[in-house]
Amino acid sequence: MKPGRRMSPKARRTILCWLVLSPLVVAVLFPFAVMFITAIKPPTEVLRPTWWPSEVRLENFVTMWKATNFGTALMNSIYVAVLSTLISLIVSIPAAYAMSRLRFTGRGYFQQFLLVSQMLSPIVLVIGLFRLVVALKLLDNVNSVVAVYAAFNIAFSVWMLQSYFSTIPRDLEEAAWMEGASSWQALVRVFLPLALPAMVVTAIFSFINAWNEFVIALTMLRRQESYTLPIQVFSLVAGRYTVEWHHVMAAAFVATIPVAVVFAWLQRYLVRGLALGAVK
Amino acid sequence: MNRSFLTNPYVLVAPGFFLAAFIILWPLLQLGQISLSEVNRFGQLKGFAGLENYVAVFTDPQFLSALARTGIWTFGIVAGTIILSVPVALVLNEDFYGRGLARIIVMLPWAVSLTMTAIVWRWALNGESGMLNSALRGLGLIDQNVQWLAQAATAFPVQIVIGILVSIPFTVTIFLGGLSSIPDDLYEAAKLEGASNWQMFSRITLPLLGPFLNIAVVMNTINVFNSFPIIWATTQGGPANSTDILVTYLYKLGFNFGKLGEASALSLMMFALLLLFTIIYVRLAMRGERA
Repeated sequence: MKPGRRMSPKARRTILCWLVLSPLVVAVLFPFAVMFITAIKPPTEVLRPTWWPSEVRLENFVTMWKATNFGTALMNSIYVAVLSTLISLIVSIPAAYAMSRLRFTGRGYFQQFLLVSQMLSPIVLVIGLFRLVVALKLLDNVNSVVAVYAAFNIAFSVWMLQSYFSTIPRDLEEAAWMEGASSWQALVRVFLPLALPAMVVTAIFSFINAWNEFVIALTMLRRQESYTLPIQVFSLVAGRYTVEWHHVMAAAFVATIPVAVVFAWLQRYLVRGLALGAVK
Repeated sequence: MNRSFLTNPYVLVAPGFFLAAFIILWPLLQLGQISLSEVNRFGQLKGFAGLENYVAVFTDPQFLSALARTGIWTFGIVAGTIILSVPVALVLNEDFYGRGLARIIVMLPWAVSLTMTAIVWRWALNGESGMLNSALRGLGLIDQNVQWLAQAATAFPVQIVIGILVSIPFTVTIFLGGLSSIPDDLYEAAKLEGASNWQMFSRITLPLLGPFLNIAVVMNTINVFNSFPIIWATTQGGPANSTDILVTYLYKLGFNFGKLGEASALSLMMFALLLLFTIIYVRLAMRGERA
């Protein structure tokens, strides 16, 4: 750096970088601003497209809770997301272990099967899935959604877990075998504790996927008591003459922000997992 | 090593395989059966119909326009996303103040369910009360409110823009992974040789980003092709089916019009198309692995 320059290269770079990003930053933050400002507007001002409300109405969140039946939908969403995540993890962990550590005939076929099921979004199968759920007499039952989410999550979970498992050195388990541990003991005592962070990250992403899913819930859940959050919020908007937008935006805000914060905090793990997985 | 029953690979893989296979293959077989049958609107099969349902889909003008629109939708979003994501990833790969914050902002749309995003946009794009119109009027860019979602001419492009916005995070993620895999010595050597920034970008960055670019194109194509909530939650394919793409048309065919046979036939054709994309992806990914 030359002496006498007022600005360091990094400071100059900072201005340039933020300048390049600014249109995108505005476009990304715009809907969040709309959501938040509408959510805190007094109901009488909602239809006036002013940016700043005359007063901040945090009570909107309280009235929204009752008016939109938020509690029930929240409980349904939590139930569906937690249970489907647990089921898909329980079956994916052993499969990912086998895929990353063991060579066996049919491994390639299993990998291809996972890949195809990963590419297949539930929407393409939705009519078949609907008939399956009807045949099992699970229509309008949140458990049908749990089963579908769990199954469609397996490919992603195995993929993520496998790419992390492959980074755990094999020597550690081999050392345990040397000391007389059975392969099962080595798996439980040595491998699984090391793999815990990967499992937590995978679980969180599975949870978020289930939390945000739309088509399956829209198809399988027909009564309000079984709605998950996205369907509940959608039902406040679709096919209605009068929409209570301040309630809708407050509900969207509460349903979205906690998950978005966790995701933003964890996205670098996903970056790593995808980067490892994408070229495997 | 003494292999126990519990570390037998087939035992380990079986639960995941059977759960996924049951939920995926059973519906697939059902679709195959329905698509070849005559079905009434209550879903009862009334006998073999040959390829009638497939022919019915292909001769439906709504299908053809939805197909064409899916092409525009997929190409528009994927191309737009890739073009915008390359510079964004390059910038986010630089070292500057507030980079952590910038990364979080860029990634945010990924964290929000598409349904909620679409509902918020539906409100922001509202003709009379929407904040987009008031913001654009405030900036002096328009002098009359635009009815964004009430007409196909603006609704569909706006939906494509929303699609691009929500696809950028995933694409940037892949590119950042690619950029971090390029060794720094290459740039240092190039600098010593007196290469310009543009030369370094076009001769080093872009070629080495190639495999990641391919993967981003194919993965985005698949995601965008399957994307349902943006259109469903903003316009439900309206006005007058003018923003229907294949997935929304499929949903209407099956659940609103009760034409289960045609819907099943369409599902299978879409499945075949996705399979084709997947094969392309595998080819590209394997080439990336060998390189």
